[in-house]
Amino acid sequence: MAAELEGSKCLSGLLSGLAQDTFYGHPGITEELLRSQLYPEVSLEEFRPFLAKMKGILKSIASADMDFNQLEAFLTALTKKQGGITSEQAAVISKFWKSHKTKIRESLMNQSCWDRGLRSLSWRVDGKSQSRHSAQIHTPVAIMELEIGKSGQESEFLCLEFDEVKVNQVLKKLSEVEESISTLMQPA
Amino acid sequence: MVGALNRAMEESSEPQLDAKSKGSLKLIDFEWKLGMAVSSDSCRSLKYPYVAVMLKVADHSGQVKNKSFEMTIPQFQNFYRQFKEIAAIIETV
Repeated sequence: MAAELEGSKCLSGLLSGLAQDTFYGHPGITEELLRSQLYPEVSLEEFRPFLAKMKGILKSIASADMDFNQLEAFLTALTKKQGGITSEQAAVISKFWKSHKTKIRESLMNQSCWDRGLRSLSWRVDGKSQSRHSAQIHTPVAIMELEIGKSGQESEFLCLEFDEVKVNQVLKKLSEVEESISTLMQPA
Repeated sequence: MVGALNRAMEESSEPQLDAKSKGSLKLIDFEWKLGMAVSSDSCRSLKYPYVAVMLKVADHSGQVKNKSFEMTIPQFQNFYRQFKEIAAIIETV
């Protein structure tokens, strides 16, 4: 194997490039781009399996959402394996995962959310006064605008009107949701 | 996320909130579900809870539609907090 591939100098850059492609969905991060930018002295034939190995390692770590103990065990095992990684490379991978774990996890969560999300929310409360045409008494109303959509698609804007009764009805439901969340989050 | 108290005592110009939507809708029902995404093809260990909401809304013609969306827990908590603010204000108006 080319000496450059055994080193760890450019590995951090390689992992960043892999994350951009695999998790963040940035287009154009080809294997040729990574090779020419980071390992220009290495041939494509030698680079390809090396890239595949690093991609596999990163995907395994992300897929299992490894904590730091699991990560250490996993990487140590790889350093002992034939055709695995060097301990220098293990250190680079470990450092990379520690700093990117949260962002990668967020990307994975977004990727598995197939319904539309709540992108923004704005509201105001209007107080309707009496008018000479009707005997309308003071009825405040809340107007809420929800922006819902998913990435790559145009948002839908919903403009909802609520009177006080409705606001309190919804509030009661929301407290039920919160109760369920608390029950779910309770340690087993 | 902005809330504002606005006493519409006199004719005002078209409220900014109406600009992007096609008229206001009445909320008929608010259904919810607390889900837990366990695993997916891109991540075997997802383990993240989410709140799925189904709104039943009616437009001025009375036509009822379902609108669904998902929120992460932090997003839900913000949504809940905003609703509590609205409730507090609407009580005093």
